[in-house]
Amino acid sequence: MTSQTARALGASLRYEFRMQVRKPSVWIVPALTVVLFLLIGGSLLRDLFDPDESSDDARTTVVGLAVQVHTLLSIGYGCLLADRLVRDDRLRVAPILDATPARPSARLVGKYLGAGAATAVPILAVYFGFAAAYAVHTGAPDALGWALATCAVVIVPGLLFVAAFALAVPLIMPAPLFRVFFVGYWLWGNVVAPDMMPTLARTLIHPLGGYPLDALLDFHGIDGGDTWAGPVPGATLNFLRPDPTPTTAWLSIAVLLALAAVALAGGHAVRARRA
Amino acid sequence: MRPLTLWRYEARRAGWAALLGPPVAVALGVSAALVNTMPGDATKARILLGALEMAVPLAAGVGCASLVGRDPAVELQLAAPTPYRVTLLRRLAVTLVWAAMVAGLTAAVLIATGWWARWPANHGPFAGQLTWAAPTVGLGAVGFVAGAVFRSPAAAGALVSTVWTFQQLFADLAQEHLPGRLLYLFATTRGPVPGDWTGNRLALLGAAATLVALALVVLARSERLIGEEDE
Amino acid sequence: MRIEISGLTKTYRGGVAALDGLDLVVPTGMFGLLGANGAGKTTLMRILAGLVRPTSGRVTVSGHDMGTGAGRTAVQHALGYLPQDLGVYPDLTARQFLDYVALLKGMDDRAARRRRVGELLEVVALTGDADRRLRGFSGGMRQRVGIAQALLADPRLLIVDEPTAGLDPEERIRFRTLLSQFAGRRTVLLSTHIVDDIAQTCREVAVLARGRLIFRGTVDELTHRARGRVWSIVTDGPPPAEGTVVSALPHDGGMRYRVVAPAAPGPQARPVDPALEDGYLALTAR
Repeated sequence: MTSQTARALGASLRYEFRMQVRKPSVWIVPALTVVLFLLIGGSLLRDLFDPDESSDDARTTVVGLAVQVHTLLSIGYGCLLADRLVRDDRLRVAPILDATPARPSARLVGKYLGAGAATAVPILAVYFGFAAAYAVHTGAPDALGWALATCAVVIVPGLLFVAAFALAVPLIMPAPLFRVFFVGYWLWGNVVAPDMMPTLARTLIHPLGGYPLDALLDFHGIDGGDTWAGPVPGATLNFLRPDPTPTTAWLSIAVLLALAAVALAGGHAVRARRA
Repeated sequence: MRPLTLWRYEARRAGWAALLGPPVAVALGVSAALVNTMPGDATKARILLGALEMAVPLAAGVGCASLVGRDPAVELQLAAPTPYRVTLLRRLAVTLVWAAMVAGLTAAVLIATGWWARWPANHGPFAGQLTWAAPTVGLGAVGFVAGAVFRSPAAAGALVSTVWTFQQLFADLAQEHLPGRLLYLFATTRGPVPGDWTGNRLALLGAAATLVALALVVLARSERLIGEEDE
Repeated sequence: MRIEISGLTKTYRGGVAALDGLDLVVPTGMFGLLGANGAGKTTLMRILAGLVRPTSGRVTVSGHDMGTGAGRTAVQHALGYLPQDLGVYPDLTARQFLDYVALLKGMDDRAARRRRVGELLEVVALTGDADRRLRGFSGGMRQRVGIAQALLADPRLLIVDEPTAGLDPEERIRFRTLLSQFAGRRTVLLSTHIVDDIAQTCREVAVLARGRLIFRGTVDELTHRARGRVWSIVTDGPPPAEGTVVSALPHDGGMRYRVVAPAAPGPQARPVDPALEDGYLALTAR
């Protein structure tokens, strides 16, 4: 990477981050989600401080919290990012940016990382806020360490995957239609049981992070009886569900990041063809 | 009655997403039913009715959430003698009527082929149309009012999607108490108390009317609508 | 339509005062509005068009109180409005866009609407491009579409904000002539940065600065504000330090400067006749 490309990437990242993080909707949508989350009985956000409902084990509790936060707040995350790339054309700033010496690919990566990071700030604030409160409440400082580890191997790869598609796909379809597809995909690809219909849930392409949850964090649900990754008897697509091991967990993370890169490259190609 | 041409223009303004969303949603729902591997016609019928009760409302809700906040000619609209909120109401109507046409046609096909009756809690071919009508209007109204408040299709769409997902993932908890049951979107295919169904459908329609009225009050402040959306 | 404005104040969120106790009467005919960026012209235009509500004060247009919903609606029925930043629907053709705006203005009769749209496309010289999508239009062509839509319902009050921005010189002259012909017994409020547009079309003018009225009179009166203050100076040195340089032209190896200043900016300076632009600068440079 040349120094000019690095400078363009850094400048774009900082600008996009600042622009996105001060948008009220980036905060309001996760805030309303958390309110709904707290109102619903049975959510870990509410049960975190109830010894009868949460696990005794700090690791299980904060990893379980990550799963719920990731499952629900990522939907708003994808929807909020869905028009960041097409917005440049709509606001007629694309020709101005295209006239700068900064390479379009560097600007794209800067936008991806900057806007993605800014939109993730409230999600991470919610997660680490509750994890810290739990650590203080139960006197278990290791909860924060587990929260950091979970964030690194589950939440961040998942959000990077979502952000890439949320930026790229609206280049080929209207952003609202993408939102409908995305919500449908999120449930189908993460939540639907593999023995019910062909699904990407519990495969290597699982943005909720089934393999890292299972093989790196040894998480099997709050009650310890859930399976998050690996082959399911009678299910299709089992060739994408190797046995969960640390190697397949890292492979799963790598697959998510590679697919994110492919999506971004596709978006870049679409924009270049239209220019 | 305004000319049909005006409604045609408003249909174009509602956008491709409003047009494509409902048929794509039905197609996805029917595909899910086709690839479903669980035994029994009732399960397949439930997924088919679920396409109407879940997928169509999501498409309509996100479509309605995209109506406010991105009108390039908003300043001309606000200076015209036709109140802009009436124009937006027309676009809302177009979006919902199109979703209703797609859902109604799909329901007719399901009734004709017998799949409608294979879901035990189907509520018949006539009143049963509230299966899709109530959640479509309800989620559409949520999207419309969220759009009016946020002036941001991204934020409003995110909120609609989140509400929908909550009701999917926490179906039992959302229906634990009567108020939650009355406002639950998917009472036909996931409602545990069949006796509450009619009340639920009417409550959803009533809530939708209230939300649309609220949106119209918010939209009366034309000044908020000028300029780039707040996102 | 006579516009009467008294004590008009508009304060935006954050305490920014766009208009500060403005009193102004705009009679029938062409009326120019001048002012620097941020002077409050666009806010005034938007209040008159019923888009923005004032914080305090009163505005009536032909007796209709703009503070009431009924008053705004009555005025909007008689209004043609061209905003500064005209947005169009890029997927519509010019003809469809005008047809749609005509419908919004209540022109429900199809034949009459088509006839009027056709006439205006001819007036703004877009008949040949009428069935092209607006997406492919240049800035000047879009502006001409904007002018056409403002004239659609034969408005009795025409409010145009920077209407000649993006037009080439020929189009600009044609548009000025069109406005002047249109005015007649109607009211045309023309807001612009381009002083020459006012000079060529308006008899009366108001100047705003920081939300306040600093001048209201005829174009000649504004021009006379600079009498005895406009200087021409030829020098091969730096531009004059005193006053406001209106123009700088190369001249015999040096430069000829036109300067508005209270006193001669140098021993070689000689007085010249003022133009409207000089009057505006003399007024605002105080």
